[in-house]
Amino acid sequence: MVELRGVRHRYDGRLVLDLDQFAVPAGALLAVVGHNGAGKSTLLRLLALLEAPSEGQVLWDNTPVPRRPPLALRRRVTLVEQRPILLRGTVLENIGFGLRVRGVAGTEAYKRTAEVAEQLGLLSLLERRRHELSDGEVQRVAVARALAVRPDILLLDEPTSSADRAASGALYRALAQAQAMRPFAVCVASHQLEDAYRWADDIRALADGRLSPVTPENLFRVELAPAGTDTMSARVGAIEILVTTDRAGPVVLAVPPGDIFVSREPLSSSARNVLKGHVTRVATHRSGGGGGVAVTADVGVELVAIVTAEAARELALAPGVPVVFSFKASAVRVF
Amino acid sequence: MDFLGEGFRRALALLLSGDPEVFGIALLTLKIAVLATTIACGIGLPLGYFLATRRFWGRRAALTAVNTALAFPTVVVGLLLYGLLSRHGPLGGLGWLYTWQAIVVGDVLLALPIAAALSAASVQSVDPRVRRTALTLGADRWRTAWTVAREARFALAAVITAAFGQVVAEIGAAMMLGGNIRGSTRTLTTAVALYTSQGDFGLAVALGLLLIAIALAVNVTLQVLQGKGGG
Repeated sequence: MVELRGVRHRYDGRLVLDLDQFAVPAGALLAVVGHNGAGKSTLLRLLALLEAPSEGQVLWDNTPVPRRPPLALRRRVTLVEQRPILLRGTVLENIGFGLRVRGVAGTEAYKRTAEVAEQLGLLSLLERRRHELSDGEVQRVAVARALAVRPDILLLDEPTSSADRAASGALYRALAQAQAMRPFAVCVASHQLEDAYRWADDIRALADGRLSPVTPENLFRVELAPAGTDTMSARVGAIEILVTTDRAGPVVLAVPPGDIFVSREPLSSSARNVLKGHVTRVATHRSGGGGGVAVTADVGVELVAIVTAEAARELALAPGVPVVFSFKASAVRVF
Repeated sequence: MDFLGEGFRRALALLLSGDPEVFGIALLTLKIAVLATTIACGIGLPLGYFLATRRFWGRRAALTAVNTALAFPTVVVGLLLYGLLSRHGPLGGLGWLYTWQAIVVGDVLLALPIAAALSAASVQSVDPRVRRTALTLGADRWRTAWTVAREARFALAAVITAAFGQVVAEIGAAMMLGGNIRGSTRTLTTAVALYTSQGDFGLAVALGLLLIAIALAVNVTLQVLQGKGGG
């Protein structure tokens, strides 16, 4: 539906986004993951037609979008910012804003407002004003406000950043409910992989404004067979990974790179997963600010571990060097 | 200091008796000020919004020009327009020199930079997310501008007050373009200057008080309007 082609976007001469191709197909459930500053918010603003790229083209249904997009086109996509702001007026007026500007009034406006307010648990807050709401509530109102206009594409920038776990669950349930009633594409930018893997069909990783070919950090889709014990074995490619979970069926496993012990010989430890292989890549880990080193090894599947620069030097980690990755079954996250 | 006391007593008597000359001058001043403020803000506020929200080549230069124009001396504006409106000037055919219309034109030129520069600053101080939110929810350009203006309403009301204050209190352009003709172009400021120079302090003080009363009334009205807007 919407597509960026050959897009380079600059702020004050600094390149913040460099994408050969990026598309959000109709009805897609897309997640864009990446660390803060990776260019996710800029990408969403371009997709929302709020900014025109410095270079390249935005296409809608394969037709180039002019630098000042027509109103009718802009109205098919809406963005909920990372820290949304409520406009002056009550929650009710905020939810109805997009409907009023479209000339939707009366029973239809009331029906739609009530519907989204209920989906997002806002019925008791309708008369409140922005200074009477918590950050999480503001975020929910912003999502409700966006859902009310029934966009073809809903863009969400870190939708759960100011919500607790329960609230974020409610948010995704509301999205699923809205999608069940009327299909539309959703593109979520998040630095939380859990968010992305919870429901997205397709995940793209963004790093330093570019699409990263590597799926972010040790994620595997697997099928877990029900078992009587807490610890289960999941088949990932050629290897088995032991995990502690009570989940079964299709799940996603994530092995946090910081929880992997890297050694040259097998360690005697409590780690249940001990995988031998050889280093394929050693790179300075730029994000996170810790100044670590990302060590990628082929241990039957490709895994990334983050170690300190000193550890990498001491272990003389370099491509081709034999290495052992160890991690506890309880370190593996399952969603 | 005795003349001040005498002046106040005279002023009170003139105001209470409803002196037609005093009220005639006040009404003309009000008419000119309201008209000039309306025109200046009608052009200046949209211009300020445009300068604050659009990125275009020469924007910085335009903002600098508008900010510089804030400091234009009123007599210089008067002089320029005098040249344009005088019989042999390019706009002499209008026959506006020494009419109240000429004062309005001068006042508009003086208030326009205030309206544009201060409203640009007001709009720039509004959280940029407000504009993006209105746009992404499908508002057209006008509705978006209105939404941003609502957020900046206190600052914009101050802009209108400042423009009105400039117009109602200036004397240079009014004197040079209007000519201070009794019953036709005499405004409160030119009259105060004239009567003071003639030693008629009572009349001068009465007119001065009226000038202050008008400014006060405009400010109170704007504050009441803002209050009605709610939070």
